[in-house]
Amino acid sequence: MLAVANAFVGRLRSVVEKIVNVNPIRYIVNWGKLYSLWPVHLTTACCSVEFGAANCPRFDVGRMGVAQFFGSLRQCDLIVIEGTVTKKMAKRVKKIYSQMASPRYVIAMGACAISGGLFYNSYNIVKGVDKILPVDVYVPGCPPRPEALAHAVLLLQDKIRKGRVNITDGE
Amino acid sequence: MSAIYFSVGPQHAGSGHFRMKITLQGDIILNAEPDPGFVHRSVEKIAETREYLQNVPLIERQCLSDVSSVTLAYAMGIEELLGIEVPPRAQYIRVIMCELSRIMSHLYWLAIFGIFLGHSTMFMWPFGDRDIFITETAEKIAGARVSYSYIIPGGVRYDLPDGIKEHTLKTLDYFQGRLKEYDAIFFSNPIFKRRTKGVGVLSRPDAIRMGVTGPTLRGSGVRGDIRKDEPYAAYDELDFEIPVFSEGDAYSRSLVRFREMEISSSIIRQAFENLPEGDFKVKTRKKVPEGEVFSRVEAARGELACYIISDGTRKPYRVKMSTPSFRNLPGFSLMKGSMLADLPTIWMSLDYWPLDADR
Repeated sequence: MLAVANAFVGRLRSVVEKIVNVNPIRYIVNWGKLYSLWPVHLTTACCSVEFGAANCPRFDVGRMGVAQFFGSLRQCDLIVIEGTVTKKMAKRVKKIYSQMASPRYVIAMGACAISGGLFYNSYNIVKGVDKILPVDVYVPGCPPRPEALAHAVLLLQDKIRKGRVNITDGE
Repeated sequence: MSAIYFSVGPQHAGSGHFRMKITLQGDIILNAEPDPGFVHRSVEKIAETREYLQNVPLIERQCLSDVSSVTLAYAMGIEELLGIEVPPRAQYIRVIMCELSRIMSHLYWLAIFGIFLGHSTMFMWPFGDRDIFITETAEKIAGARVSYSYIIPGGVRYDLPDGIKEHTLKTLDYFQGRLKEYDAIFFSNPIFKRRTKGVGVLSRPDAIRMGVTGPTLRGSGVRGDIRKDEPYAAYDELDFEIPVFSEGDAYSRSLVRFREMEISSSIIRQAFENLPEGDFKVKTRKKVPEGEVFSRVEAARGELACYIISDGTRKPYRVKMSTPSFRNLPGFSLMKGSMLADLPTIWMSLDYWPLDADR
């Protein structure tokens, strides 16, 4: 009985997924996601200085639809890894990512978040945050300029716009 | 009522890479235990694997909001080991950069302090003004926004560009007008006063006993400032005062930083007026003679000391940094016995920068 029900739900899901990915619907769903990216309030290292500057009057990334830092993880769909992730922080980063609702996106900001950067031979860092999280956009620089971060946001929005809608959660 | 236990940070508005373990009963904090180490990147150990000059960008990463003072402490140590005399022009440029860096660091603190107290305007204004300082002065002088590795052993990397004096003085004119607005909207604001006066009182004996430093120490009535006590660079040729407030609460600590921004502006003006002509750096050797040296500077957050042991090769044997944020860490015990609503006030009044403490 359960097997039959599972098969039915699986079939229903694939049908819905096909319908959702038909162009006008897919476009509308993606458009809804585009301009409401809420970043998690997590700073992992010194790139937070430039992240702060990007949110502030001179650059104001907010006008591109990336709102300010937000407290509740359940409402966040973007995590910006600002710099080095140490081994102690890596556990928290994973935990925070797992608490976010799908769809969720990751921006790796700075050389340290990409590959370890200046601290490549340190004993206490994770060399590249892509070892623990699936990264969508990489922003090089040490630290990247706020303009670079703004560009990364535009790239991410482009990726969302072209992307497929997954109705299955997480995986 | 039973006590509850929770942690503030590392995923929390403004806490940065730091965590406080709080035990709370009702509205009173019973115990507050700091949990640093989220950004321990082993700067000191990596420094042993790189050459002396390569260490400059590495060491400045530990305090990205106040880079000049960190690199100055390191450069001064190596100059003493090499036995070289830095030209007076370089000394004055160093003073200018250090004071610019102090202003920018205090503006950063002010922005975070403002948003911690729920004052959104005070978050936006200092950050906007900080960007004016970055683009009009630091970027023009050193060529990068925040991480410029400008101060190196032997002097500074480049000479000042043409017309930088006018740019800087114009920025300072603007900034000193802005300070009056800050005072009107924030520091004289009755809400701000009610939230900070008498909160987190650190008495003078306690401040000395805990070994806190910088504005936290001067907010408790101790006149301790390396710029006066043990002058370095060109500070002994400049005329400035050290702001000291004796109440020891969050309000006096923030006033110290507020006054320091004004005083730093006047130091920069004086330094530009007295700026001597001449070389901006001297040639240094790659191999540093054997020996050990202890150098200290007054960074924006307090006394920053650097201890270098050289074994006569191109790489240091040991670089030990004693950083102001780590020394201010005992200040978090002030949270004990206070209300939960005072937690952000006490937190930010210490101007704790986790990267600086963990290294």
